[in-house]
Amino acid sequence: MENTFDPELIRAIFKLVWSRRALERERNEGTENLDGEVGAGTSKKSRPTTANANALKLSSELLRLFITEAVQRTATIAEAEGVYKIETTHLERILPQLLLDF
Amino acid sequence: MEGSRESDLEKEEDDDATELLRDRFRHSAISLAESEAKRNGMEISQPVMVCIADLAFKFTEQLAKDLELFSQHAGRKSANMEDVILFAHRNEHLAASLRSFCNELKGKEPQTERKRKKDSRKDDKATSNVLDLS
Repeated sequence: MENTFDPELIRAIFKLVWSRRALERERNEGTENLDGEVGAGTSKKSRPTTANANALKLSSELLRLFITEAVQRTATIAEAEGVYKIETTHLERILPQLLLDF
Repeated sequence: MEGSRESDLEKEEDDDATELLRDRFRHSAISLAESEAKRNGMEISQPVMVCIADLAFKFTEQLAKDLELFSQHAGRKSANMEDVILFAHRNEHLAASLRSFCNELKGKEPQTERKRKKDSRKDDKATSNVLDLS
């Protein structure tokens, strides 16, 4: 149960996505200034988004749940087929519902 | 797998740090999947683990986007637990288990620091608001 994501790793990924989006927004602002997302755009330069420690822990937990759920569902399918190795066909079976559930 | 091709192209624009992060993420995702399969008394093939790891990475990127939008919408510059729960609000069971995890985290906190206690109380109220909505 101790096996989970490192919140610092999650923070790094979040930061990456946020800085990528900030760059994109800047690029868009250059071409069209009258964007609907001005509200989001104005705040970005002065204050980049951050996440507090508990939010990161909770995100790690969410990701852990995502992965364990995926594995458990594939395991159920494999078990029903009477095999003891999870293969891609099992994943294919559970994927649509998994993606709807998360 | 076409999706990962595309993101491979994207990735080239980013620096090596992206690559490193992605690999670290994959690594922990794969070891998580492996141990979970073992717990279920199952073996798990490599492509399945890689696929799940990639999915989880995309899921993380989506989460990051949503957290940014949610926190900005609330007029905050920092994303908190409430935003994470909001991300999962469509799935009641998921939201419920996140909420209980969230309460666990809060339960630990007040004993260690006093300043945080006030923060977590704010969080408390906010979270219960989310609860009412869903």
